[in-house]
Amino acid sequence: MNTREITVTVNGRKRTVNVEVRRTLADFLREDLGLTATHLGCEHGVCGACTVIVDGHTERSCTQLAVQADGREITTVEGLATGDGELHPVQQALRDNHSFQCGFCTPGFVMTIYGMCEDKKAGRPVPCSRTEIREELSGNICRCTGYQSIVDGTEAALAGTAGKES
Amino acid sequence: MAGGSAISGLVGARVHRKEDRTILTGTGRYVDDVQARGMLHAHFLRSTVAHGRITSIDVDEARKVEGVVRVFTGADMSAITEDLSFAQPIPGLHSPSYPAIAHDVVRFVGEPVALIIAESRYIAEDAAGLIEIDYDILDPIMSTTAGLADGATELFGDVPGNVVHTDEQLFGDIEAAFSQADHVVEQSLDQHRWACNPMETRGGVATYETGSGQLVYEASTQTTHTLRFLLAGWIRQPIHQFRVTANNIGGGFGLKFSAYREDVAVCAAAKAVGGAVKWVEDRNEHLVAAGAAREEQLTLQAAVKADGTLLGLRVTMKLDAGAYPINPPATVYAGLVRTTLPGPYKLPAYHFQHHIVATNKASYISLRGPWAVETLVRERLMDKIAETCGISPVEVRTRNLITLDDQPTKMITNVTLENVTAAETFQKLVEMVDLDEVRRQQEAARAEGRLLGFGVGTFIEPAPGTQEFWAAVGFPFGSEPCRIRIEIDGKVTAFTPQTPHGQSHETTLSQLIADELGVGFDDIRIVYGDTDATPFSMLGTGGSRAATMASGAAVYGARELRKRVLEIASHMLEASVEDLQIADGVVSVKGAPGASVPMGQIAMGCWLAPDQMPPGTNTEMEFVADYDGEGGGFSQASHACWVEVDQQTGKIEVQRFLVVEDCGKMINPAVVEGQVIGGIAMGVGGMLLEHSAYAEDGQYLTATFMDYLMPSAPELPEIEIEHMEFETDKVVGSRGVGEGGTVLAPAALLNAIDDALAQVGRPRITETPITPTRMLELLGVIEKE
Repeated sequence: MNTREITVTVNGRKRTVNVEVRRTLADFLREDLGLTATHLGCEHGVCGACTVIVDGHTERSCTQLAVQADGREITTVEGLATGDGELHPVQQALRDNHSFQCGFCTPGFVMTIYGMCEDKKAGRPVPCSRTEIREELSGNICRCTGYQSIVDGTEAALAGTAGKES
Repeated sequence: MAGGSAISGLVGARVHRKEDRTILTGTGRYVDDVQARGMLHAHFLRSTVAHGRITSIDVDEARKVEGVVRVFTGADMSAITEDLSFAQPIPGLHSPSYPAIAHDVVRFVGEPVALIIAESRYIAEDAAGLIEIDYDILDPIMSTTAGLADGATELFGDVPGNVVHTDEQLFGDIEAAFSQADHVVEQSLDQHRWACNPMETRGGVATYETGSGQLVYEASTQTTHTLRFLLAGWIRQPIHQFRVTANNIGGGFGLKFSAYREDVAVCAAAKAVGGAVKWVEDRNEHLVAAGAAREEQLTLQAAVKADGTLLGLRVTMKLDAGAYPINPPATVYAGLVRTTLPGPYKLPAYHFQHHIVATNKASYISLRGPWAVETLVRERLMDKIAETCGISPVEVRTRNLITLDDQPTKMITNVTLENVTAAETFQKLVEMVDLDEVRRQQEAARAEGRLLGFGVGTFIEPAPGTQEFWAAVGFPFGSEPCRIRIEIDGKVTAFTPQTPHGQSHETTLSQLIADELGVGFDDIRIVYGDTDATPFSMLGTGGSRAATMASGAAVYGARELRKRVLEIASHMLEASVEDLQIADGVVSVKGAPGASVPMGQIAMGCWLAPDQMPPGTNTEMEFVADYDGEGGGFSQASHACWVEVDQQTGKIEVQRFLVVEDCGKMINPAVVEGQVIGGIAMGVGGMLLEHSAYAEDGQYLTATFMDYLMPSAPELPEIEIEHMEFETDKVVGSRGVGEGGTVLAPAALLNAIDDALAQVGRPRITETPITPTRMLELLGVIEKE
């Protein structure tokens, strides 16, 4: 088995791991680090369920190798909510809008929308209209919802208007 | 009491979902998230030919790969399992049994031919690449026409002429209807194969405990109990030693209603290796092998009067069943189409004939409203009748629809319609659309060289249907249990046989129980997906039953426990039961808030010292309710769809989509809307984008999401919903709403496209999907291939 040692920072925690060179980043996160929130829906880069943030960029984790992540910083859904049960404002906005149903695609959408909100914070351009939001979400597939509730949740997340628990 | 709930509070409100904290934080447990010490991984090698005889299989090199634990050929697997059989005592049904892994003949591309068990999926796939198989290629049957042709190759020894089932049924005097007709209107539709494609594919983790002999299968399934009893026999596992569980399930849409040969092989493999084996199908396997739906060809002949009144209908359906039967038997699909097709219309005479044909494709499976083609062809026929008679699509429906005033009445298929409001939803829809304005806009657009289309449709949805309905279909209409328990501290646990996978049952059932019992929403937990814990039901989550059936069971269970609590409290508080109330888990005397006792105190007494509770009271704090559905009922809706067709590219843009739906009393409008919109998205995707396509030689062509196009956010319109909530005098007034969007949306959409085509003098659609290429053919821009 051809392996290589890599060092990655995942959700703020530095990890040095010996990893098989052919292992995908998604499998590395899920199987080796036990971070199973990142889901695999197609494993060929279309459905977006495996979306994570790599060095501030929203990326697929199924179509890159773990060794490519050496020296980089990764955020997964596990890195958003704090331990005390408080949802991240993006998650709260999506909850307020009943955005999801079965939950399988959800972590990918959460990370895509989180990425948009981070872009907004950094002053980078973000989608404004619902049509633009739909375009921006086109890299994530959801089979349950028809997307309308996810667009609602994205609007709320970008506006920063997540309500309190009802 | 109308509408169902003792204390109106949470029921009817847009309550936040219980499920969301888990799914938004990624802390759910889907099958692929299961990790157990020593767990092995399964990978299936699959047939590369559509039809062939296996002449040799060599797995020696695969067995030598380091990390490979076992390799099962078909013969190896058949030595430890029974063949799968879905045969039922249905006259004329030819349901061939088949092995978990093929060892003689393969009948579709993707059929399992070997199973590799290894320390990792990577290693299992490496080993699969070393297996050598030789086939003698046989002629593939790739259409119902080919299957029915004289002298066609027969796929199975016990399916004569490849006909799995054929039948015809006559209702009323069809000859008289056609002899009285002013017009005979004909229509045909060849619907393509498309698929459920839940974002989580099929999968399961089988764990065999060699000491005790117990097997646990944690599966991605819609129905734990049925999976258990089907698998137990095939894997030779005593059923009392077999537990099937399900945790989070990433969508099903009908696919996960059946048991599959992969389930059999994985469970048998776990027993053979004495440990835990995980199988999670990848998307490529899923698209190729999991099965697909909707491949039906229908021809219709309608006898109508000059004013558009329906007199009679002759229908022939051919259904492409693929190679291997699954659950339910194909006759159920045909029965559903036949029984439902007259819909909410007056129809005096009806003849329906079907042929279910075996072909060399993956199995025909359930997909969200498996009978949907009945609505698609009927609603398209209504438009053609309108055109023939020179009346509008609105007028033709209004003249034929059964209104509330006409009910109770019987469908020609012997199903009583009562409290059915399809006509009323349609009336509301029509009020919300100015048809004259639509026509003016279309005319103005044509002047600019643009092409707009508008279509409508209406239907009824057996959600859950009635006893009579299911008897006509030939499928049992079971009651639904719910076990409900007031815990020692007054909190509540309810056990449902539902296996929710996005339908929000943890939320809706908690809303119902909270209102009935007077306990907090957060003080209720819904347990599902465990055959050791939940009461038996054959159906699990499917058939849009839960809104009525699971709700009813929860309501009746909560009411019984409420009665017990109040009787005990009436002794303790020295007040009559009628004077008591329960709020936030505390029983008190109305108007005397000081006189109260927490439910937790009553429950603790009942559990720990029942002898010391008031004599003559029932201290059992657990009860299994069984709800018969109170006769059941139907949901209904009407849709309107606006499209723009790009005449240069063939692109169809759905510009606007309006829904008027009536599922009775809504438990949670946000959940209802989610189901409706999601259903419509699936229907639109199915008609415009998705195609489980085969080449003539039987190769599967759309094996990735770059070929099988799923609708993404930009392809879908904003969907507008108007709710009607017709309430009956039944305790549970809620009807299912999970499938209807997918059933009706294709009809409204295709009618809109036909409307556009008519404006430029082009003929109607006769086959789907309506891809840009097909649209350009329909427009006459390019020649049909």
